[in-house]
Amino acid sequence: MVQPELQPPPLIPHVEFKAVLLLALTLALIGGFLAYVMYARGVFESTQRLVLVADDSEGVKVGMDLTFSGFAVGRVQRIELAEDGKARILIDVPRKDARWLRTSSVFTMERGLVGDTHIRAFSGALDDPPLPDGETRQLLSGDASAEIPRLIASARALLENLDRMSAADSKLSASLANVQAVTERMKGRYGALAGVLGGDANAAKVVNALDRSNALLASLGELSAKMDRIVGKADARVFGQAGVMDETQKAIAQLNAVLGDARESLKKADAVLAEAQAIGSNTRAATADLAALRAEVEASLRKITRLVDQINRKWPFARDTELKLP
Amino acid sequence: MHREIVRAPGELAGAFLTWCASWWRVLHFGALALVMAFSPATYDRDNRVVTANQIYFTAWQVLPWFTLLSALLGMVLIRIVVVTAASYGLSQYALEMVVRVLVLELVPLTAALFVALRSGSAINTEVTLMHIHGHFDDMRRAGVDPLRRELVPRVIGSAVSVLALASVSGAVALLFAYIGVYGFSPWGFDGFTRTFGHIFDLQVTMGLALKLLLFGLAVAVIPISASLEAPREVRLAPVAVLRGMVRLFLVLVLIEGASLMIKYI
Repeated sequence: MVQPELQPPPLIPHVEFKAVLLLALTLALIGGFLAYVMYARGVFESTQRLVLVADDSEGVKVGMDLTFSGFAVGRVQRIELAEDGKARILIDVPRKDARWLRTSSVFTMERGLVGDTHIRAFSGALDDPPLPDGETRQLLSGDASAEIPRLIASARALLENLDRMSAADSKLSASLANVQAVTERMKGRYGALAGVLGGDANAAKVVNALDRSNALLASLGELSAKMDRIVGKADARVFGQAGVMDETQKAIAQLNAVLGDARESLKKADAVLAEAQAIGSNTRAATADLAALRAEVEASLRKITRLVDQINRKWPFARDTELKLP
Repeated sequence: MHREIVRAPGELAGAFLTWCASWWRVLHFGALALVMAFSPATYDRDNRVVTANQIYFTAWQVLPWFTLLSALLGMVLIRIVVVTAASYGLSQYALEMVVRVLVLELVPLTAALFVALRSGSAINTEVTLMHIHGHFDDMRRAGVDPLRRELVPRVIGSAVSVLALASVSGAVALLFAYIGVYGFSPWGFDGFTRTFGHIFDLQVTMGLALKLLLFGLAVAVIPISASLEAPREVRLAPVAVLRGMVRLFLVLVLIEGASLMIKYI
């Protein structure tokens, strides 16, 4: 016997429709989700293969991105160990993104202390020919954690140096002690001078020497003032009105006149000599004239000698007292 | 005293055997329900009505409320994760964390727990009472297979409910995750797709599907088997309900734990 309540009448309107609607909604969501997952994982994209060879594939995971300028242009598809012991990282690059990879591109793997490993591509010249399908390239790795042992080693060396420098008997502390002694001395009466010269007594000597130098400089100043005055006087004597120079100028004018006279006398003598030569025979008759002429020449010469002596007396600086006659 | 010591191992072994047999019945019933759910012969006209009713009661009625609730919870969680990640300078991991925590773990578990609380306990009580009152025997005598007519529709209803609630609120959570991380700008779509593709590799996607299926089955199968094992005494009905619900929670936690272990260990 079938109980009536075991088959409840359909009290809810369109219950089957609603159930189907809900099922359809759920299936559509699941289908959409699966399609989106496939799209997101690049199932619908046509790709080309790129093989990167690295010494160490630590940190590289399947599904990881290959980035170019921060944008994902490829995805790690497989990682395998090659016959030569190197890691081969097989990357699928969608064809629409493959244009960023050129034959000159460089691929690097960076491992940070925190966070994931990154595989990056750098294309310097985008005019180069594009990377062919199935290309095998070297993966350069820059590893932050590999730097640490080296860093620690150099830091240790540095610390040892510091330790040596800061030890009680080190040169640095001795130098500092010396500096301290010097500065102690500098605090005294004579300041830095005492510090430099090694004591107050020496500094006092220097101060005394300076004082005396000052006095000396003062007297030197006076002396130079006196010298100034003397030079001024000498100037007046030599170059001033009726000074040495003035007199000399006058004497030279006289000398010029005297020399003119002498020239005239010599010309006359020359004429006379010519006449004497021409005449020849009447020498004796001309002797009286000659004697007079001679007396005249002698007088002129004496005048010159006297003048030269006079000049020599008035011209103190002349060395060559010889006077050359023309 | 001596007799007790001698008897204890025997009792323990007996209890263990009973426990094993009970779990075996759960598995057997689950497998049977699964096979029947996927065989077209199950869905004759009467059964379709019953199944539609079950789906309506367990899924349709609660879908708006549950979606609203999980959207609110999701928004709060997404906000917390995004702000915390930003304050640690790890914004690039915020989306991945939100999707992993919310869509992969919390939403399916919440959906399963919600259906278990609302429908699992109801099914447990109902089937226990029907079992105690001998309705199934009556049906068998009338030539109707109670498994096919009453129990499998409930299993299907619960499984569909878990699946529908999880997928709708998962989609809402993804939408809120996008808005939470990128705002209303459409330019985050590429990044979102990339992160999404990273998270949902084959293993994770299959794991999620399997987990949802197991959740959906467990929510109906375990209470129903517990009900069918109950002694036919009305005063013992609460014990059967209690045992079914405890077992259900245990199984849900185990499934979740196992999925986490497989994924992250």
